[in-house]
Amino acid sequence: MRNLFIQQRIAIAVFAILSLMILAGCYLFSISLAKTSFASGAILLTCILFLACYQLRKKLSILPIGSASTWLQFHIFIGFLSFVLFMLHMKMRIPDGLFEFILFLTYFTVFLSGVLGWLLSRSIPHRLLSRGEEVIFERIPLHRRKIHDKVKALVFENAGDGKAIPDFYEQHLRTFFEGPRNQLRHILHSERHRHQLSQKIAALKPFLNEQEQATLLQITKKIQLKDDLDYQYIFQAIIKAWLFVHVPLTYSLIIFALYHTLAVCAFASMSR
Amino acid sequence: MSEPSISRPRRWDKPFSLEVGSEEELTDDMVDFLLTTPPFSQIDPAGFKRSLPLRDIMKNDVRIVGFDEGDIIVRRGDWGNSAFFILSGNVRVDLERKQTSLPDEILGRRTNKVKTLWESFSQLWQNNSEPEVREIASVGGSKSTLNTRFAHGGTRIYLPEVSSVLDKYRTARLDAGHWFGEVAALGRTSRVATVFSEGVSQLLEIRWQGIRDILRHDREGSLKKYIEDVFRERALSAFLRTEPLFQDCPPELMQRIVDQVEFHTFGNYDSHKPFKELLEDQNHNVDGGEPVIIQEGDYLSGIVMIRSGLARISQRHHNGRRTIGYLSPGQIFGLDEIQSEVQSLTPVACRAQLSAIGHLNAVLVPTPLVEEILEQNSPAKSSSKKAKKQIRATGSQSVKLNDDILLSQLVDRHYVQATSLMVIDLDRCTRCDDCVRACATAHDNNPRFIRHGPILNQYMIPNSCLHCADPICMIECPTGAIFRDLAKGDIVINEQTCIGCAQCASNCPFDAIRMVDIRDATGALIVDSKTQTPLAQATKCDLCIDQRGGPACERACPHDALFRVDMHDAAKVEEVFAS
Repeated sequence: MRNLFIQQRIAIAVFAILSLMILAGCYLFSISLAKTSFASGAILLTCILFLACYQLRKKLSILPIGSASTWLQFHIFIGFLSFVLFMLHMKMRIPDGLFEFILFLTYFTVFLSGVLGWLLSRSIPHRLLSRGEEVIFERIPLHRRKIHDKVKALVFENAGDGKAIPDFYEQHLRTFFEGPRNQLRHILHSERHRHQLSQKIAALKPFLNEQEQATLLQITKKIQLKDDLDYQYIFQAIIKAWLFVHVPLTYSLIIFALYHTLAVCAFASMSR
Repeated sequence: MSEPSISRPRRWDKPFSLEVGSEEELTDDMVDFLLTTPPFSQIDPAGFKRSLPLRDIMKNDVRIVGFDEGDIIVRRGDWGNSAFFILSGNVRVDLERKQTSLPDEILGRRTNKVKTLWESFSQLWQNNSEPEVREIASVGGSKSTLNTRFAHGGTRIYLPEVSSVLDKYRTARLDAGHWFGEVAALGRTSRVATVFSEGVSQLLEIRWQGIRDILRHDREGSLKKYIEDVFRERALSAFLRTEPLFQDCPPELMQRIVDQVEFHTFGNYDSHKPFKELLEDQNHNVDGGEPVIIQEGDYLSGIVMIRSGLARISQRHHNGRRTIGYLSPGQIFGLDEIQSEVQSLTPVACRAQLSAIGHLNAVLVPTPLVEEILEQNSPAKSSSKKAKKQIRATGSQSVKLNDDILLSQLVDRHYVQATSLMVIDLDRCTRCDDCVRACATAHDNNPRFIRHGPILNQYMIPNSCLHCADPICMIECPTGAIFRDLAKGDIVINEQTCIGCAQCASNCPFDAIRMVDIRDATGALIVDSKTQTPLAQATKCDLCIDQRGGPACERACPHDALFRVDMHDAAKVEEVFAS
């Protein structure tokens, strides 16, 4: 743990030094009246290509080309450094050309989704551990169905002749057990839906006989189980979903950036 | 319609002398003859139970095997399931160690081929789309390039030129009346030396189950004494010197230690049998069934050094006991107390209890001798910083954790057996499954572990092979297909010799071995030609033994959440579980 702390400190220090060096280099380059955009653009493109290589490393897990965690550290480091370069390259202003604006927007989305992913990968594991049973994401629907089947058996087979529990199930529980529910509330750590359901169950209790009360108690436990499963589902889904934004947009960014480079090189003699 | 019925299989349905590799069945006359010759004539048959008489043990757990000039009897590093007694002729024991010992090529040993860079890369498109594809030619044996010959009822690997081996390598001769292989057979360890026949020899081979029963019921203890004496004579000094405390011990003192050391055995040799039941027991009662080696509060008669097995260190806590550490082979207990005694010149009671987890062999070095070593290594006598450091280091030899509950769970669930325990820190794991994907890529599209298992604090212990120090999965493998790799010590399965009997899978207490139906390149199931039932083979984590760079799962984890931990490495255990 102490090593990790020291590593983080070193990374921040190196980042600060490199950023200052880039800024100083740009300044020195600019006072000699040279075109800094070419230099910053070339370095930025190299950075983007390096960042994209991380995905390649993940595919080539069997090759001895360094551990994925080392690659990720570099990926994050270079990612932040690329942002400094990007701002320099843009000269801190929003481009006015349509293509440049799309390129700007793509880079920003990729960068922000990367930062978001980084933050999520630091916070969600802890949340997943704090509640519910650890279930593999792909198996969650199966677990959900099993819970639902057990609840249906309790409602329609164990509840006796009374209609109270089947009615309650149709009115309040069927939709709850059918699929993932209350996702936004889980994200916001709100437990309001559970309190509401508990109140409804408490209100129903006085109208039930002993056998029905026992059945309701078992259903209550299943509600807790299903709610925990929903919690696991939404957070595991989020931590997988952000990659569907980050990775495809990275490929778009590379294509746009290469086109931009070609265009810049082709019209270099005309630029001022 | 009546149900198909067979008689329940029993231990001696098939005597050892009728198993593959035997020349002829052991007749009653042969058994009678053996019982009249030493050392068996010195064993009192009256000490044996009626249901387990010495004569039946000899009849069923013993066989006579013949060897020709150069035939290899046991190979260094192979798993020991039996011991040998020389009836006639001589055998030679390779005394060389490590690099200078007989090379693997001469011993006809398979060498694991590590994939080249290109082979690793090409797995991306060359892996079969169907899982568990095998080449049909390789299943059920392939042509061997070893020096083998068929003789005495079995195929033997032999040394082509015995005289040149004798010239080149240091060997020792064992004559008729000597035992060998008993330490590996009883300790469930690998053979420490290669033994081959010099000329024609006839040996008595006895299964470990047989030796165990004889040791148990032999009132005189002559065989036990013989085994201990052999260990004392051949290996004790080297074993003790693995501990830093004894490393600089003068030869004269070491000889006295070797002469005076006591051997102790604790626990049931079959303790792996109720192991699964032990896992189910959630009470985690430390006192429950574990033989106590040293009581808390007792005065020590010496330091205990573990030869094989594991020991739990626990302390009284309210009305129960809590685990505060554990010892693995080569580690010692009691040095701190003796050091305190030397310093304070008053007897110091033991601050913790030591008990055996399962079957345990230990040696006890008497206190006066330990005091003498401490005296020799004391700063006044020894100015060397190394010696001082060593004494300090030995005091903290046991594996300890600040979190007692976590430590207890690791011991109770026998994870301390692991030499490569897969641990996932769920506080860091993003459940991305990159580890599973990497494992699948390295193993022909079928991962060798499931990212699911017990969670202790924030640590998940997935269903992956632990590569146990005492791998009970290997005990009953009839073909030796599951074996310990010599170079790295990993437990691996040879696909070419696995017959799919599932003994290893049912023996594994961690459910880490899976039986899978095997397929050909087209994806069709390979079936038994006689019964037309699908053929299965055992699969498990092999720590990516054929891949460059080691376990793919560990290297593929981007968040440093997955670790492989040798539970006998105190520093590593503390590093991983202390966070």
